[in-house]
Amino acid sequence: MNEHILEYATGALDDTARAEVDAHLAGCAPCRADVAAWRALGDVRADPAPPGPELVHQVLLRSALGGPPLATRRPAWFSLALLRAEARLVRPAVPIASALVMALGVALAAGQGQAGQILAFVAPVVAALGIAGLYGPRRDPAFELVAATPTAPGLILLTRIALVFGYDLVLALAASGVLAVLGADPGGLVAIVDAWLGPMALLSALSLVLAVWFSADVAAGVAVVLWSLRVLAGGFLDDTGWLLGAVRVVWATNAGTVLAAAALTALAVFLIGRGEPIRRHGATYPS
Amino acid sequence: MDDDVTLLALVARGDGGALARLYQAYAGRLFGYLLRLAGDRMVAEEILQDTMLAVWRAAGGFAGASTVSTWLFGIARRQAYYRLRGQPPPAPFEPVDRADPAPGPEELAIAAAGGSPVAGAVGDLPDHQRDVVALVFVAGLPLAEAAAILGVPVGTVKSRLHHARAALARTLATQGVPE
Repeated sequence: MNEHILEYATGALDDTARAEVDAHLAGCAPCRADVAAWRALGDVRADPAPPGPELVHQVLLRSALGGPPLATRRPAWFSLALLRAEARLVRPAVPIASALVMALGVALAAGQGQAGQILAFVAPVVAALGIAGLYGPRRDPAFELVAATPTAPGLILLTRIALVFGYDLVLALAASGVLAVLGADPGGLVAIVDAWLGPMALLSALSLVLAVWFSADVAAGVAVVLWSLRVLAGGFLDDTGWLLGAVRVVWATNAGTVLAAAALTALAVFLIGRGEPIRRHGATYPS
Repeated sequence: MDDDVTLLALVARGDGGALARLYQAYAGRLFGYLLRLAGDRMVAEEILQDTMLAVWRAAGGFAGASTVSTWLFGIARRQAYYRLRGQPPPAPFEPVDRADPAPGPEELAIAAAGGSPVAGAVGDLPDHQRDVVALVFVAGLPLAEAAAILGVPVGTVKSRLHHARAALARTLATQGVPE
């Protein structure tokens, strides 16, 4: 009988079983006390009354004001949407100037026998200057707005790199293709691309780190200085110092330059997530 | 039972009146349950509102795999744990008979709420015992439904009830309240 007392007290027994327990309880005081003790657990006499129907009004109001629940997952097309949104922030002067300078390079190189060398002067500095203006409170009209979005700054930076560097890469490849068709380099397309690809990646990556770490001006300045050193090393200042020799070794397409460029880009993405969005001391955090 | 299902279908279609009727049918039991979990009237009212909001938004997700009351109290329990602990309810295989060592704010609050001695002592029970007592004796759910909500076998529900009753008897005895 003890087994059934709990179920009886909760009201979970069916009619016949309940009738049996009722019959037993009539003659068994301890079991009656048992049932009472169980039911005392659910003593609700002192409970306050539940809120009235106005609670439903509040719920409906909250639902209407709150709108649809926040999406916790990014939609599949998020990367594409981000790319489109960031593309609208690129000032048109940058791609236009890049294209013009590259066209000038092609025009200059077309008459020469060493088109790859000419393009190796033009493509890296175009890309590096484009990258230098990629990021920073003074370069980006939507900087504060973008800094306030939940999208990680590193992701925004990578998106912009993909946009600007991708554009410059396409430009340089197109220029190489034109020059190869014109037969301006004896090595053909591969030799032309080989001449500029490594330097372009390395100089752009260096420019990116400097733009993130210091400012766009520093990045552009350093890029131009390094580029000038390369011009001097390739021109009339042959064999005049170890520095120019070193520049020539670094200024080539090989595993070292590509790895260094990748490492510098990773460093820039790491740095951008750590620093203060606007580089003024104590601008966002008390320190 | 069928009435509840049709009511919930209306709620899923955006019928605010159906939500009001559903609330009317369950307000007392849900509030009693949440009052035991929260130990504080204001907090219980907030959780009740959270629960009804979750019902309003998730009514379309009711697939009829359980009864409406199981579904409702499951939502209420989840909302209570989110609100009180900032985390989802514990997994069913949590240690069964270990008392919660940390006295939560609800233990303190129930005294201030001025409940009956038994209700106050129920508030002193460890979480898993208070939960099952509130589901079975305050909300009046069958043992099988309480077991489904907690995700444990019916036998565990019974053993928790017995432990809760024993603990309650000890507490009331030390307080000098006749059982």
